[in-house]
Amino acid sequence: MLTWITDFLYSVIKLSAPIVFATLACDISRQAGVYNMSAEGNMLISALASVVIAGMFNSVWAGLIGGVAVGVLMAAIIAYAHLIGKTNMYLTGLAFNTAATGGTVFVMFMLCGEKTSTNAAIRSYTIPQIQIPIIDKIPVLGKILSGHYLLTYVALISVILVWFMLKRTRLGLRMRSIAENPQAAESVGISVVKVRYISFLLSGLFAGLGGAYMSMAYVSFFSRGMVAGRGWIGVSAMNIANGAPIGSSIAALFFGFTDTLSVSLQAFNIPIQFVNMIPYVATILALVIMNIVRIRREKAREKARLAKMQEKEGSAVAH
Amino acid sequence: MENEVLRMQGITKIYSNGFVANKDVTFGVEKGEIHALVGENGAGKTTLMKILFGMERHEEGSILINGEEVHITSPLDSIAKGIGMVHQHFMLVPSLTVAENVVLGVEPMSNGLFDFDAAVKETQRIADKYNFDVDAKTRVRDLSVGQMQKVEILKALVKGAKILIMDEPTAVLTPQETRELFEQLQILKEDGHSIIFISHKLEEVMEICSRVTVLRHGRCLGTYDIRDMTEAKISRLMVGRDVVLKMDKPQHDRGEVVLDLDNIIKINTIGKRVLNGLSLKVRKGEIVGIAGVEGNGQSELASAICGLDRHTAGTIKINGVDIGDKAIKEIRDLGLAVISEDRMVDGVAADRSVRENIMSDRFDKPEFKKGIFMDNKRINQMVDECIQEFEIACDDRDQPVRMLSGGNIQKVVVAREFTSGRNVVLACQPTRGIDVGTAEMIRKYIIKMTREKDAAVLLISADLNEVLECSDRLLVMRYGKIVGAFNDAKEVTEDILGEYMLGIKTMSDEELEAAL
Amino acid sequence: MKEARKIEAAFEIIRIVASLAIAYVVALLVLYFVSDEPVKVIQQFVLGPFSSPRRIGSILNLAIPFTMCGLGMCFVYSVGKLNMLGDGIFMFSGCIVTFLGIRLGTLGLPSPVLWVILLLIGGLVGAACMYLPAWLDVKLGASVIVVSIMANTILSELSQYILQFQMRDPSTSYLASYPLDPSVSMPKFFTSSLKIQSGILVAIAFLILSVVLLHKTTLGYKMRMVGANAKMARAAGMSVASTIIIAQLLGGFLAGMGGAMEILSNYTRFQWTDTTGHGFDGLMVAVLAKKDPKYVPLTALLLAYIRIGSDVVNSSSSIPNEFVSVIQCIIILLVAAEMFLTKQRNKLICKAAEANLKQEAQSAA
Repeated sequence: MLTWITDFLYSVIKLSAPIVFATLACDISRQAGVYNMSAEGNMLISALASVVIAGMFNSVWAGLIGGVAVGVLMAAIIAYAHLIGKTNMYLTGLAFNTAATGGTVFVMFMLCGEKTSTNAAIRSYTIPQIQIPIIDKIPVLGKILSGHYLLTYVALISVILVWFMLKRTRLGLRMRSIAENPQAAESVGISVVKVRYISFLLSGLFAGLGGAYMSMAYVSFFSRGMVAGRGWIGVSAMNIANGAPIGSSIAALFFGFTDTLSVSLQAFNIPIQFVNMIPYVATILALVIMNIVRIRREKAREKARLAKMQEKEGSAVAH
Repeated sequence: MENEVLRMQGITKIYSNGFVANKDVTFGVEKGEIHALVGENGAGKTTLMKILFGMERHEEGSILINGEEVHITSPLDSIAKGIGMVHQHFMLVPSLTVAENVVLGVEPMSNGLFDFDAAVKETQRIADKYNFDVDAKTRVRDLSVGQMQKVEILKALVKGAKILIMDEPTAVLTPQETRELFEQLQILKEDGHSIIFISHKLEEVMEICSRVTVLRHGRCLGTYDIRDMTEAKISRLMVGRDVVLKMDKPQHDRGEVVLDLDNIIKINTIGKRVLNGLSLKVRKGEIVGIAGVEGNGQSELASAICGLDRHTAGTIKINGVDIGDKAIKEIRDLGLAVISEDRMVDGVAADRSVRENIMSDRFDKPEFKKGIFMDNKRINQMVDECIQEFEIACDDRDQPVRMLSGGNIQKVVVAREFTSGRNVVLACQPTRGIDVGTAEMIRKYIIKMTREKDAAVLLISADLNEVLECSDRLLVMRYGKIVGAFNDAKEVTEDILGEYMLGIKTMSDEELEAAL
Repeated sequence: MKEARKIEAAFEIIRIVASLAIAYVVALLVLYFVSDEPVKVIQQFVLGPFSSPRRIGSILNLAIPFTMCGLGMCFVYSVGKLNMLGDGIFMFSGCIVTFLGIRLGTLGLPSPVLWVILLLIGGLVGAACMYLPAWLDVKLGASVIVVSIMANTILSELSQYILQFQMRDPSTSYLASYPLDPSVSMPKFFTSSLKIQSGILVAIAFLILSVVLLHKTTLGYKMRMVGANAKMARAAGMSVASTIIIAQLLGGFLAGMGGAMEILSNYTRFQWTDTTGHGFDGLMVAVLAKKDPKYVPLTALLLAYIRIGSDVVNSSSSIPNEFVSVIQCIIILLVAAEMFLTKQRNKLICKAAEANLKQEAQSAA
């Protein structure tokens, strides 16, 4: 039983990592005031790029760098369409994801003559797993926390870095101000387009890392549609915490848990579909709750104003 | 004048649609003075300040700072030259702290990171220096409007502003906050800052300014020493007609009351009383004009009457029926026709055709319907009649409204509202921004509505010529209520009107009662 | 200024044609560079769809669901909402209709009655699903696009659940439902080489209904006015919220019926394990048709033609048909890009205005 639990928790972390990357990709755009839904497609493209480039150069590191670079490049293309071409961001995200789904299959087939996976054609590379000294000696906890792929730890560090970047750097401050009031930022000479471009590129960086994780850590090959909605779960997690990196990463971890649950339950003939729905139902619920709270707050304010007015009137009458 | 820090010399600004916003305007500001810039709405104050702050380009004239000619092409240039602007609508980021807002764009850095502590220190230092009572670590969204304004001023000061432009700073403030602001402005002045103070409130101008420059219809009437002026004198300079408009208005008897407002109160989202116990009556066959400096509750009054934004207390009756919380459609069916203030927002759907815009209030009337279908033949006939009667210059009824001139777009609105058979007309700024010829036509239609169709018209306008010449009765609105009422608009001169508009005179309740 | 109007109208069309042309050229270039026999492949891509009656029939048949979903998106789009739930509805309605179709055969009703019942149910299921995002948007201001995309996955999972646990046929080696009762399957007509689904009649009927509804009725007029300027529609006394909801319900109805029809026409069992992408295709069809139902069949056929072309290439060479999705993306982005060709248009309008002024000056002189 204990081994099962430690294995399970190990898997939760393993399965959460790509979701965290996707979440960060969405967060960083949202923090600059852009609703970017392209993580799903971008991760898919980066996953394929990682495998292909690793195979080309016979190096896992080349694959990682290449995959991330491709992710950033894709984000730059999206940024150009949205910021310069003025396309609707929702449409752009949707169109890009559709293109990525088909495009990756097309490229994969042209390169390896396979339509389902690169497994047979390209030699697989895996990002190394890392044993953390000291922690790996701790019973139970060591088994859960140690021995993950390098990128899992990168994901964890990234969350903190993004949080730090938003809180403590000039770029972060400018991003947040642009998200809330672009005119205010523009009026003190901050270029909205430039800051948003940077946020897109960072978003691409995280999508690229997430993609590389999928094809070089989660499994060691590329297969069609392998991101399997993780990009969308990232959108969900971002929504739930309104783009805050720590909060949405906790949501991502929870979705990693449900993901693990559905994988472990797959063997039994029980309806995992309802487990799979959780992130999406949670997002809708979160949106509903957030909006109800917002409306309530406005109403309460209205009431307070009225009360204040009546109070004044009362005292005026008393005088 | 060796003390002069700013001089705008012969500034002319013509907008691309041919509107002359500023014509040969010259004025100078000295070091350490609070300089008032006054003028009616549309007199060109805002444009002039936008030019100074690099948000608009002027066609002619020059700007001199400390005696040297400068070329300002963007707000950044302007900031670099030591000019700061406190916008009427605050440019703040609500979820950031005061300090972060203040240093945005010129953030202090240490080791490549944003130095929040230094930002707080710097903000607090300047706040203390000028006696600004704000906590640098509070989030802006938790501040009162008065404090937000202080943050705006701090923003300019941190960037080294020596000349501060303040665009109607007291419009959003409570009396106490206004007092506080004035004290701070005095401190700034003594420290050698120069302040350009735009305001409609002459008592404020008299109180804190040393000189005043008056603009009227884009021209500068001169700069005067406050000691030589009285409120009445300034008002007479500001409010005046260059060309006196004459409208033919046949005598007409008034009928019963069809629009009746009783003690209307409206509190807006920031808790300000924008309508403060306003009462008025409009009778059949008369035009009641409301004059007043803009921003004294006119827009809110219009929104309350047509149901777009509910009033907080009081009753509005149209043809004897209380509108209560009736839907907009029901209110309109009580007999209300509306020419809205902003025609491109509430008046027309710009991308749709003349036809679809004219039919928008009657498409579901039985005479234009055949079951669930529209009766296009009758609609087209009706639209063509409108186009002809109101002389709308368009290619045909299917032309998108956005391709028409402003005047013709307004004619589309007027055609719709005046042919709807409704008998209470709310006309808000009916001729704003349109050419003289069309404006005159529209005024004639308004008079015709009352004289021939016995309609009641409530005319809200910032154009003095218009209210003076079109109205039968005239009301003056200030601070959300009626402060002056005249039973015969013919007897009112612009001087008297100006004194009421600008708060030099106010009628007592008894006087109002008598006139209403 | 008749010129300006003409130039604007022309550029509307030019923009779409140019987007299509650019995307098509990209497709041809891709085919040219990846193929060993570029001439043959391109020929197949361009002319292949017309090379046999069967393929022409395929274009028509493929255009049927595109038309249904495209019409649906026209309504959704007409009130200015970007609701993507069509995708999930298409699958879910198909699933529900299968669930009922397996059982209804035993009732012994005549086939046409069954078709009508099932199609209506498919449509109503779609409309019911659409209510959630539409209502949340109007009532609470919850972003309709986010809710609809999330709901897509929920509907997809729900369909998979029904498939796996409520109607799975254990005798098949793959995941599929029990077979539909033959009496509910919609027939195909014409010759054995040119088979056309009877659904085409339904699609044509709804095309006509949609055109009439959107352009001839007061409801359609309201939708278009709300979409053009909701504030003005409100000020004119229209009920904005209910119009917005009704338009989206209509969109859901059409997508749902499209899904039902797809199952009844082309499948003997329900076997979708993921959404089919028809919602996105419908969006593209509606965007290209400029929200006007009467152009929907044209753009649906165009999309079907490109798809069949890629299928032909796929079956006769080694190039997979997935490259079409990239083409679709390029088309959407170019059409959606406000800046695409705007400069050129404004230049022309300016020129026309100047010419006009000159003429006036001359005639005045």
